[in-house]
Amino acid sequence: MRRFLRENSLGLTFGVLFLIVLVGQAFAGHANFNQEQVAEGLEPISLGRYVTSASFGVDVSENWQSEYLQFFLYIFLTVWLVQKGSPESKQLDKVGRETHEDQKMGEHAQPESPRWAREPGLRRGLFSNSLGLVMGAIFLGSWTAQSIAGVAAYNEEQLSQLEDTVSWGRYLIEPDFWNRTLQNWQSELLAVASMVVLSIYLRQRGSPESKPVGSAHNATGVEG
Amino acid sequence: MKRTALLAVAGSVLALAGCGGPGGREDAAAAVAVRLLDSVARGDGAGACATLAPETLADLEKSADQPCAQAVLDEDLPAPGQVTTTNVYGQWAQVRLDTDTVFLAVFRGGWRVVAAGCEPREGKPYDCTLQGV
Repeated sequence: MRRFLRENSLGLTFGVLFLIVLVGQAFAGHANFNQEQVAEGLEPISLGRYVTSASFGVDVSENWQSEYLQFFLYIFLTVWLVQKGSPESKQLDKVGRETHEDQKMGEHAQPESPRWAREPGLRRGLFSNSLGLVMGAIFLGSWTAQSIAGVAAYNEEQLSQLEDTVSWGRYLIEPDFWNRTLQNWQSELLAVASMVVLSIYLRQRGSPESKPVGSAHNATGVEG
Repeated sequence: MKRTALLAVAGSVLALAGCGGPGGREDAAAAVAVRLLDSVARGDGAGACATLAPETLADLEKSADQPCAQAVLDEDLPAPGQVTTTNVYGQWAQVRLDTDTVFLAVFRGGWRVVAAGCEPREGKPYDCTLQGV
């Protein structure tokens, strides 16, 4: 058990932190929602009602979609784009999808390789792009969820201001949808750009996200 | 018979509280909007006031400087009509009748009217004869 925890500590820690923070967001969002309700002379709502509301749904999904977009873009773009000196980049002469030999697939699969890396055709094609495809699918799913929860939350706001509601199609061209979307995208893109560039010159001893402390600034594709 | 009556009462309570199956919240909101206009048309001021949100009722009494039951009858609200559309989102509802548009919100006792006698204005909130919040 102890060994299992140690060998999976990274995934488990982030999973538990995610749940704690999500619960914290639910409590903070509920308190904020009720503050606004009371200020408008309306009734506070229960925590259960809040966590199933469009307001909570859009706040959660707008952050999820941008995180998965970030990883989707990063996974696909780093196939073809490189950054000299960054451990986040592959080596400069490895641009592209690389050979079967480099990728240990097809006839170059090894005994311990996953079965689908060896099999020809659709299965190998799917498996060799599965990380990016799943990240992209979750991005599209959560962005769609944001738009659906978003239009409901927006319409609740519209009604509270004695204004007409809008359709889902109309909401997709409303500033509210794009403001929620772009404010998340810009922060994710800034974080990725910062990581790519700062890791050229800065080090974190022991982290695989950094080059070894003594690596040259121009050493590319080297992880510590 | 007794069981049917009990179910009907339970259904009405749930509907007024904004609960119920598909369409339940819409139907409950529409029923309250219709009850306001019906009550005013019948001259039942107390019945009309029972459908109003607390702030709407308080604002009405303050601006008219008389009890709600009298003031609400002087508000020139439109005659009752057929419900054409009901939109419910979260704690808010908009009921469109062929004679009026009514806005409601959820309170402890169920849906209550926040604004009635509302006319649309291009690019602006509705202009309402009776309005709280």
